[in-house]
Amino acid sequence: MFKKSMWYSIITIALVCFIVLSIGFYQAIMVTSKVSAQPSAKAQVPQVSEDSAKPSSKNATSFKILIMGDSIAKGTGDEKSKGFSSYLSEYFKNNTSKEILVDNVGIDGLGSLGLQEQLDSRRLDKTILDSDMILVSIGGNDLRSILSLNNLTKEDEFKVRLDNYLNNLKQTIKDLRTANPNSIVIFLGLYNPYEKATSVEDTRLLNTWNYDTQQLVEEDGKWIFIPTYDLMKYNLGRYIAKDGLHPNSAGYQALSNRISKSVEAIISNLSTQ
Amino acid sequence: MKLFSLIENEVIKMISKKRLMFVLAILVVLISVFAYGQKQTLERTKAQLSQRMGITATDDWRKLADQQLIDMKNRLESPYRDEKDKSSLLVRMEQLQYNLDHNLNPLEQSAAKFSTKFMEQAIFLFLPLLIIMLAADMVSGESSSGTIKLLLVRNVPRWKILLSKYLTLIILEVIVLFFAFVLSVIISGFFFGFGGWFAPIATGFKVLAGKLDTSSVFNVPQWQYSLMVYSLAYFVAVVVGSISFMISILVKSTAASIGIIMSTLVAGNFISFFLTDWKITRYMFMVNLRLTDYLSGSFQPIEGMTMLFSITVLLGWTIASVIISFVYFTKQDILV
Repeated sequence: MFKKSMWYSIITIALVCFIVLSIGFYQAIMVTSKVSAQPSAKAQVPQVSEDSAKPSSKNATSFKILIMGDSIAKGTGDEKSKGFSSYLSEYFKNNTSKEILVDNVGIDGLGSLGLQEQLDSRRLDKTILDSDMILVSIGGNDLRSILSLNNLTKEDEFKVRLDNYLNNLKQTIKDLRTANPNSIVIFLGLYNPYEKATSVEDTRLLNTWNYDTQQLVEEDGKWIFIPTYDLMKYNLGRYIAKDGLHPNSAGYQALSNRISKSVEAIISNLSTQ
Repeated sequence: MKLFSLIENEVIKMISKKRLMFVLAILVVLISVFAYGQKQTLERTKAQLSQRMGITATDDWRKLADQQLIDMKNRLESPYRDEKDKSSLLVRMEQLQYNLDHNLNPLEQSAAKFSTKFMEQAIFLFLPLLIIMLAADMVSGESSSGTIKLLLVRNVPRWKILLSKYLTLIILEVIVLFFAFVLSVIISGFFFGFGGWFAPIATGFKVLAGKLDTSSVFNVPQWQYSLMVYSLAYFVAVVVGSISFMISILVKSTAASIGIIMSTLVAGNFISFFLTDWKITRYMFMVNLRLTDYLSGSFQPIEGMTMLFSITVLLGWTIASVIISFVYFTKQDILV
């Protein structure tokens, strides 16, 4: 009798589950092979047109800043969603009477190769030509993933990446200079958001990276390398956002302040021309 | 004799042979071990995170989530954004928003997450091994103990006997899947709580030109995702069951048939390394078993290998092994 009831319960469970599983199987096939299950993807967000539509002739009443590079250029991490775009213009206001216009073309996760591709696409040429000052932040994404490697491969991989990065950057400097022979370019150095969990060896690598970058960047007379490492080192708690990687609002303000101090004279100069 | 009572007979035979009980016992032990391991990993991740980003990072996840949400919104509005990222951003935002709305720390595990993860991991080796334990014995067991004579002398056609055995196998596979699900929910529930069934999970990945394409991803609720995972697992169970059923008929020895199919499965894991440049390997059943990877997007993107392709290949193997089984079993001489 026990076996009989067991048999019935087994066959019931089996039948019910079989039906349920068949439905699930059908869904699984649909989900992975249907062309588009959600119509929203296409229609929802309207295409934002390129900025080139704006009237952008170089005129005497405005001071144009172009911000390009990775997520730090973009302002990721700022809880007020401002980033360099708004802090820089706030600080520059004191030095110039002109209207300050900012273009931000930063992309999260961009590496030096991506930046070069962005320039190669030539979509930015006009914007670059119009800008009086360009802020570039790049390299963090080239270097970042190296931390997780073991010490044996780290050194080699670091050299490879540094070489690639420097080559890309060299090309970027050249292209920017071709597109606009006069603009001042500010290059932001790298800082170490993982200060607490970093060995001496890693610090040495970061310093090499920054040093080589500075050497390259300042071969061009109108590029200026601004270090961020020292500013962040003992201020990680205050200046780093909750994601543990990007600067927060206070961090962006501190960096903007430093940048504005470095180029104060140039801006006043340009304004009086 | 009716097919139904033949199946009943077979099922009862399987239960009294205790093999099903062994399978369930293995499930209980392993699920407990995995759940405990998951808990340990979780705690270690938390410890690492709080070491790297300050002690508040793990408890204070809402601020981080808020921040990420703002960043992603900005990214979505940026005109310089890559068009392809859009749906993955939307999906990610929807998930974060859900976490915030329901106060769910995205770091935390849940029974729903665990039971799905468990099956995703089990589908290509562990689950097939359990099924082999049941299937490899069904016919060869009768041959080696000699009881097959008693079955065949009865006034029932041979194909009916084999069919009853095959259907029994299919029923037992459902039972194994059912218990795998119930047990993993109950055991992991004690570790992580029983919730999490409505959290959104991303799916709908595709391969375009040999690269993973996320332009059509969207969220489904966790329960639906789990259902799909277990359904695919059941399909895999049927495939592996049919193949080992065939082998157990062909070699007539339980030990040999278990050995053959197990080594084939393990070899499949090595062979997947050659998938990209050695075309013929993709027609082997072993490399197509990871069906759930198509759902989760964690597969090695290879042009031409899609869910439909894998299912077709597996279906081909199943049908072939069933046909071979029936032809061979009805034609062979049985000398015991």
